[in-house]
Amino acid sequence: MSGREPRRAVVTGIGAVTPHGIGTEVFWKTTVSGGSSLAALDRGGCEGYALRVAGQVRGFDPAALVEETFLVQTDRFTHFAMAAARLALEDALLADADFDSPYSVGVVTAAGSGGGEFGQRELQNLWGQGSKYVGPYQSIAWFYAASTGQISIRHGFKGPCGVVASDEAGGLDALAQAARTVRHGTDTVVVGAAEAPLAPYSIVCQLGYPELSRATRPDRAYLPFTDEACGFTPAEGGAVLVLEEERAARARGAEVRATVAGHGATFTGASRWAESRDGLAHAIDIALREADCRPEDVDVVYADALGVPEADRAEAGALSDALGPHARRVPVTAPKTGTGRAYCAAPVLDVTAAVLGLQHGLIPPTPHVTDPRHDLDLVTGSARAVEARTALVLSRGLMGCNAALVLRKGGAQGPHQ
Amino acid sequence: MSRRVAVTGIGVVAPGGTGVTRFWDLLSHGRTATRRISLFDPAGLRSQIAAECDFDPAAHGLDPTTVERCDRYVQFALVAAREAVQHAGLDMAREDPWRTGVSLGTAVGGTTRLEQDYVLVSERGARWDVDARKAGPALERAFSPSTLASAVAEEFGAHGPVQTVSTGCTSGLDAVGYAHQAVADGRVDVCIAGASDSPISPITMACFDAIKATSPNNDDPAHASRPFDAHRDGFVMGEGAAVLVLEELEHARARGARILCEVAGYATFGNAHHMTGLTKDGLEMARAIETALDEARLDPTVIDYVNAHGSGTKQNDRHETAAVKRALGQHAYATPMSSIKSMVGHSLGAIGSIELVACVLALTHQVVPPTANYETPDPECDLDYVPREARERRLRGVLSVGSGFGGFQSAVVLTGPERKA
Amino acid sequence: MTDQVSYEVTLEDLAALMKRTAGVSVDPDQFARQADAGFDTFGLDSLGLLGIVAELEKRYGLSMPPDAERCKSPAEFLALINSALTTGV
Repeated sequence: MSGREPRRAVVTGIGAVTPHGIGTEVFWKTTVSGGSSLAALDRGGCEGYALRVAGQVRGFDPAALVEETFLVQTDRFTHFAMAAARLALEDALLADADFDSPYSVGVVTAAGSGGGEFGQRELQNLWGQGSKYVGPYQSIAWFYAASTGQISIRHGFKGPCGVVASDEAGGLDALAQAARTVRHGTDTVVVGAAEAPLAPYSIVCQLGYPELSRATRPDRAYLPFTDEACGFTPAEGGAVLVLEEERAARARGAEVRATVAGHGATFTGASRWAESRDGLAHAIDIALREADCRPEDVDVVYADALGVPEADRAEAGALSDALGPHARRVPVTAPKTGTGRAYCAAPVLDVTAAVLGLQHGLIPPTPHVTDPRHDLDLVTGSARAVEARTALVLSRGLMGCNAALVLRKGGAQGPHQ
Repeated sequence: MSRRVAVTGIGVVAPGGTGVTRFWDLLSHGRTATRRISLFDPAGLRSQIAAECDFDPAAHGLDPTTVERCDRYVQFALVAAREAVQHAGLDMAREDPWRTGVSLGTAVGGTTRLEQDYVLVSERGARWDVDARKAGPALERAFSPSTLASAVAEEFGAHGPVQTVSTGCTSGLDAVGYAHQAVADGRVDVCIAGASDSPISPITMACFDAIKATSPNNDDPAHASRPFDAHRDGFVMGEGAAVLVLEELEHARARGARILCEVAGYATFGNAHHMTGLTKDGLEMARAIETALDEARLDPTVIDYVNAHGSGTKQNDRHETAAVKRALGQHAYATPMSSIKSMVGHSLGAIGSIELVACVLALTHQVVPPTANYETPDPECDLDYVPREARERRLRGVLSVGSGFGGFQSAVVLTGPERKA
Repeated sequence: MTDQVSYEVTLEDLAALMKRTAGVSVDPDQFARQADAGFDTFGLDSLGLLGIVAELEKRYGLSMPPDAERCKSPAEFLALINSALTTGV
């Protein structure tokens, strides 16, 4: 090391609002026990479609988690994001913090579907009654930037604000952007994604995805890496993390859970799953290089696990290409088969599970999956105790983006050095 | 260790004409492209005017399959990107696809198509449990905003980082800002950057009606967009796309590309104040300008032109004037500052990139585009807004600023191609 | 325009509108006592006031004066609105 120590982005807080429940604890408890929250889709107006199973967030009382005004003024996806952000800041012991400067805290979210339910209501007002029936909040509730804006305003954060409106992989891209923002000089970035795609018209839009699972049984709907793979199950909810510059975090006595060590992003074309093998392998290479990791350093892989045979095959192949013989030995898991895929939030939930898994020395299992067919050590049944130091999180999106994120337990002065 | 970032190609689809030549012709003559809305019947709306693109996808070489799969805003982006890549002389067969990225912004994405199909599946708003059988093909691509960057990346075979950015009305600056960071950091060598929006649809017009942000001057559309003028009464909706090819400077030189200018600095901050409201003092935008100048290692006095957000709402133009004065000090009074929204309207997420293309052209031609329709000074807006006529001027550094719902404030600094290291 | 009295918008009506269109709840007593305080004291932003103006316009089929959305306090707002409603502007 010559000169100044580089700035590192570390995770100091996590907040999750997921189909498993409200809060990070219930998410982790359910995840580590292999629990599933996939169920028959029963939200009002959403029952009659070819999408039968989903990961719904139940028992979410937005009024209890965000101010009442936001119920009228923003969409459910922003309610989730605001609630998760508050939980993450509380977890980081920053909820009522006095920051040196409001500019030292930034906000980045990823959003793949926007305020669909709010938007449908306003479209109904417009087309059912007339343009004067469109309310003033449509202009700020529907658009993809709503969550970043509301979090920034609610907490008074004036640092760099960003919104990644990419496909699923955008969740990891947002984390990478936040980590870069920290490395470039902002002390804290609140980052994550939350989605609420389970409104009637949003569902009708998603029915166009050939990858969408139309299975009717919750336990058979989302079975990646198996002979029964029949697509993915969508979900709502999300997670928000607090990333901080490591020295600043340590100076205030924060618990340093993990370091965002490396990220790689590539593109191989919408629904071209065979090609995603090459794309994902490249993304892993780039992420490992940035993290200064060798393939054999990877202790656990959180797979994208799309549940489409061609895509699952490509992912197994990508691991083999990028990790070599280590790909057959490293434990691979996909806890998202218990929550469903909440689009941009899906990989953020995986990062949440990965950070908690590193902390607890556990790898959560892949719910519902019993007979994986690829040459992978897929963790099924129950959690596995592994003193992992390095986790690799993978994500691919329906529009062709691939991303890989490397997380290391603790910080630079943490247990791995 | 930060690498220098060159702009080597530009392309644009804007109201008043597709292509860089027609776009510059409009701007440099101070003509306006605002008119009564023709894309749908605007009767009943408070604001019935917009700056529309006369866009024929077939005439621009888009095949019927692409037209069916891609919403209007994606079509705009494809056409603008083709022009930019061609202008840059970029031969994708000779580029490393894994080192080529795409960063495109949009504020409202596929809303126009989403609304068209909504009308069908809901039987004109009659039912909440909409009828899936009435949906048109490829609707999922309108639902997913990442279609934008994805479609452009597929067109050019880019395999590097591909990102759609959506920070409301600063999307077009932020998308280019992110591309700039990706090239400067060494994550990519080439990035196709820009933004696109086609928001002229009933729902988007109605939602801006509801907050009275758009001009109700339906009787005189050509003069309705009046940034900085004392009689301004809101913005005029626009649409369009712009794309810039960003490239690592040495990479561009090595292939003998013409360097149009450099992206020297970028910054963005939130105002943490209100989703639509702006602070009086412009503190956060001023900070974005100062930070972008710092990154560019430029003294404010090197800025010879400010391309304003200048939307033409009462509060925006006041806010922005305050911000620019705060950041540039006395130099603000000596620096021309104009808003091309007076001519091409405000195309939400796209406009930031369209304005950056205008800045590249201003640098290339050493001409400042005017603020059309500017007649009556507003005591609270006391800078030189380049009324109605373009002006020749020596331009070294150019600053473009943007402000968006959510409280976002962004700034990009461009410098002429002759700048030394 | 025969029964002008029915056009009177009361503080209670306004409170109900604030609740419905902007999700802002106000304590009725405090609202009555502080009708001269700024809307922001009660948590109503500029968009919320625009929404209320739009609601009243739909309810009464009239255009409200352009100054309505710029009113600072409930008292000022109601005075303007009710004067517009009774004169039928």
